[in-house]
Amino acid sequence: MVINVDQIITAVVAIVAVPLVLLGYIYLGESVIERLGERIQLWIRPYFWALPAIGFATVFMVYPLLRTVVISFRNNADDTWVGLNNYVYFFTFPDTLTSLRNSLFWLVFYTFFAVSLGLIISILLDRVRYEQAAKIAIFLPVPISAVAASIIWKFMFDYQPPGTTQTGTLNALLGVASQQPVAWLVNSTTNNAALIFVGIWSITGFCLVIISASLKAISAEVLEAARMDGANEFRIIQLIVTPLLWPTITVVGTTMIINALKTFDIVYVLTAGAYDTDVIATQMFSQLEHNHNSRAAAVGVVLFVAIVPLLIVNIRRFQQQEEQR
Amino acid sequence: MAGVLSKLSSRASALGVGFLLVAACTTGGSSNTGGASSTDVTQWVAWGGQELAAYRDVLKPFEASTGIKVHLTTNRDSNNQIANGIAAGTDLPDLAPGPTDPVQLKSWVSKGSLKSLESFLDMGAYTGGTYPALTTAPGGASDDPYIGIIGGKHYLMMVKTQVKGLIWYNKKVFTGTAPKTFDELLAISPSQYGAQKLFCAAFESGTASGWPASDQIDNIIMRQNDATFYTNWIQGKVKFTDPQIKLGYQTFLKEVSAANVYGGSNTVLTTNFGKAGDPLFKTPPGCLFLEQATFIANFFTQNFPGTKAGTDFDFFGHPSMGNSQFDGNINGFYDNISMYNDTPAARKLMQYLATAPAQQIWANDGGTLGAIKSLTYTDPIFKRAADVAGTAKNLLVTAGDFMPSDMQAAFWKSLLDVTRDPNSLDSVLSHLDAVQKAAYATS
Repeated sequence: MVINVDQIITAVVAIVAVPLVLLGYIYLGESVIERLGERIQLWIRPYFWALPAIGFATVFMVYPLLRTVVISFRNNADDTWVGLNNYVYFFTFPDTLTSLRNSLFWLVFYTFFAVSLGLIISILLDRVRYEQAAKIAIFLPVPISAVAASIIWKFMFDYQPPGTTQTGTLNALLGVASQQPVAWLVNSTTNNAALIFVGIWSITGFCLVIISASLKAISAEVLEAARMDGANEFRIIQLIVTPLLWPTITVVGTTMIINALKTFDIVYVLTAGAYDTDVIATQMFSQLEHNHNSRAAAVGVVLFVAIVPLLIVNIRRFQQQEEQR
Repeated sequence: MAGVLSKLSSRASALGVGFLLVAACTTGGSSNTGGASSTDVTQWVAWGGQELAAYRDVLKPFEASTGIKVHLTTNRDSNNQIANGIAAGTDLPDLAPGPTDPVQLKSWVSKGSLKSLESFLDMGAYTGGTYPALTTAPGGASDDPYIGIIGGKHYLMMVKTQVKGLIWYNKKVFTGTAPKTFDELLAISPSQYGAQKLFCAAFESGTASGWPASDQIDNIIMRQNDATFYTNWIQGKVKFTDPQIKLGYQTFLKEVSAANVYGGSNTVLTTNFGKAGDPLFKTPPGCLFLEQATFIANFFTQNFPGTKAGTDFDFFGHPSMGNSQFDGNINGFYDNISMYNDTPAARKLMQYLATAPAQQIWANDGGTLGAIKSLTYTDPIFKRAADVAGTAKNLLVTAGDFMPSDMQAAFWKSLLDVTRDPNSLDSVLSHLDAVQKAAYATS
């Protein structure tokens, strides 16, 4: 084991010196600002305090973003402009088209099932005494890292030759029903569904707790009044509960769409994109892995452009909620 | 306190936040590389663990007798770092693995970064003693970048080798004689030996799934065609829809057909390569044969404790594909050492490593073949593998490893796809042509 002294010095500088410099910036800057006139002080102080944060954000977020956009129009060696070539590749090559199709599957099915299961379960659990226990059970997969969850499901989907002991839970169940085992992750009719199912399994609890919290906020009197007026439970859910929950559902839904679009770990661990299960994020990763930096940048830009409108919707919703309070 | 801080901060702010950020972002750039020393050698190796321990054993007698100190660094990214070093003109290690990428090899040779073995080694003894496939270009060509020969000069010194494409079997089950040709192999009836199917196969390997399949098809294609065709294919000069490549795929599909492979294609695709051989040792046996390199013996003894190489299981070399002139084409890989700084100490070490006594220490530590023909092996597996290596006329590399990485990935995936659905062969091959066109254009 060779200890590299330079690297240790660099690490110490990064951990100790950077905060020290920031502290120095504040002390020194404040001592200057204090001597300025009151009005200038009021005007300059927020900018002064925000400047380091803006600096960090510019260096580590804004600049890489702009650079990615630039690279996506360059060739791989980054020495000539290639126009839309990288985008043409992305929207015409069969492999990337497959990943686009699969991301669309994720977007539709993952979002739909995660949000609607979260909604339905929260409404149902609202009416039972064991609500807390059930919620905990459904929420349990949420804190598990996606990689760990995928490995758990790799065992669940395990396949053994027909006629031998099935060690995968799903195929063991099929065996009990005297059915042939299914190669869940290989078979093209089941593999995308299996992956999306793992995604839904690991996120439904999240949708559930958010929607449930918002459900608790609906005043009992409103529901009571509706019942007095003779509305049955289905009408109440349809005409009162769901509309009142709508802002929350939108926020959860857009968050799920963003999750769906950036899905990576489940696919990477379970199939690594084989058998036509690639999604946009795994596609971007493999372009990077194969040193096609500009193609990867183009994929990244497409993903970014797809997500920005959703982010805007989400931020608007948050602002509206803030205003309502 | 504030006074101290402001004093300190004034000095620090003079340096500027930006400077420190830059300092924090640059990695420690010190490389322990030396000048033209006659007492020290710096060497990068890709080995760790057992392999590194074995190399230290090899170095011991050298360091004791010469007083030269060898400074070893395990560096699995040495190719990239040396490329950066060459581009930037900074110090390089004296010795390190040479590049296996033909383009890189040619470029480094032309820049003078790599020193030829001819400049310090007795080439007669070296080429005479080493497996010919590792030192001699097919047909006496002056260039064979896959074994480090450029312009008739050698730039990679071979120290270890491994052969692939071996057909393993359970000695208690398969008691027949080794088939000479692939047709004879296919004609063996598994039921005659109480086994369910002829072959076992397992292609799952996480993100690298499909590589075991690529080994199988490489061994077919290199024996159905001459070495030039095979390397042209690696270099993207032969299309995947070429009839000979298609023939290779069709032959490969016989090895994984529902009739011939244990458990059918789903089992092949979902089983990890490390467990590929398990059905060999089950009762009744699931299959008679498994094609894999020498390393698989470790999995056999690990998965079935008590089994012993040579007594419980053994292998024979890949059978001929019917063209005896190509039987000398053998799939394998090697470990090499190249010289980047010509120093007296580095020369001495290279000269020492090319000797049989040095490589014998490697062979004794096990797990590999040396590059020299005359070494002796106590492990029956390597004793037999040495025989196979000895019959090699051309050591041909594993195709995918030398293709652009996206080509390799697509190639591996294609083998999974045709195993799953043999009817997709034509569309898979034409898709590979499209990938090939894109991959070689930008690489």
